[in-house]
Amino acid sequence: MLIPLLIISEHLFLEPYIIFSIYPESFVNFSLILILSIFAGIVISMNIFRIRQIKKTNKIGISLFGTIIGASAGACSCGPVGFSIITTFGTAGGIATAFLDMYEIPLRIISIGILIVVFFTSLKSLKNECKIKS
Amino acid sequence: MVDKKKLIVVIVGIAIVSALGASFSSYVGQVDQMTQDIQDESDVSPVSLPPLLGSQTAPVTIIEMGDYQCEMCKRWYDESRPKIIENFIDTGKANMFFIDYPILGVDSALAAEATYCADDQGKYWDYHVTLYDYQGHMNSGWANAERLKSFAFNLDLNMDEFEECLDSSKYDQRVKLNWQKASAGGANSTPTFIIVNTETGNEEKIVGAQPYAVFEKVINSML
Repeated sequence: MLIPLLIISEHLFLEPYIIFSIYPESFVNFSLILILSIFAGIVISMNIFRIRQIKKTNKIGISLFGTIIGASAGACSCGPVGFSIITTFGTAGGIATAFLDMYEIPLRIISIGILIVVFFTSLKSLKNECKIKS
Repeated sequence: MVDKKKLIVVIVGIAIVSALGASFSSYVGQVDQMTQDIQDESDVSPVSLPPLLGSQTAPVTIIEMGDYQCEMCKRWYDESRPKIIENFIDTGKANMFFIDYPILGVDSALAAEATYCADDQGKYWDYHVTLYDYQGHMNSGWANAERLKSFAFNLDLNMDEFEECLDSSKYDQRVKLNWQKASAGGANSTPTFIIVNTETGNEEKIVGAQPYAVFEKVINSML
């Protein structure tokens, strides 16, 4: 997830050369992407493990929701993703991408918050539900 | 008896599909309007080349396709453009021009028209710089007609001429033609650059607000 987000946020470019760039103004954005990717990776892995072990899917939806919000935030309207959304959905797409762009940082913080909550609840659930009953 | 939950899901699904369909058709309408209005290239002023920054005899030309409301265009403008101007344009190795690709809303097209109104008074690049210096959030009104006029006032432009130009949509066709050219040129995001060696015809496309190092490498490879 980290690499696609870095590409969408124009920190990582693949053509004409592979290059990573970060500017002082975009450091906060980059940090949030990093934190979001780490938590998303951990939380989704934990929930996949839960599904396999105890066949419960009740937290995977919330973790995916948090991940999607965080990933969508900052889908710059002027990048290929935003352009595709605008050309496909017209005015509604333009409004949506403008919203996601304007509130990029708050949306990423909210999604990180969701993922942190899911992380702790999943951890607690795994601790309780994976106990060997004596 | 129909399950209530399923019924609600179906109704919400129909509403979403209808909204998407309405938006899509409004976009298709906009594109049709954009392309229909461009009846004939000859209808546009014969001087339809954008103003050039730099020496006309420079061997390399940088074509930037951008939107004045584009955040990434602003990033490139702040971070890479000054060094490109200092190291390549001011030294005569490259020149640059800007093709409007107003994809982000009505204010984008209006801002582009305003730059040509400023060009009528010889201040295209000053106005171009002003727009990026004062860029606000997309479609927040920072580039509405009143703000565009205030930028012109700050640049000591003749306001009667400028306002008449902007209010009469004098350059509406030109901006639409640029949009069509940028789209036909393969741009699907902003900023998009095409670096051309004018002697050999070699060209390289760069997409996005890439750092100066990329432009330096590409331009040097063409010199």
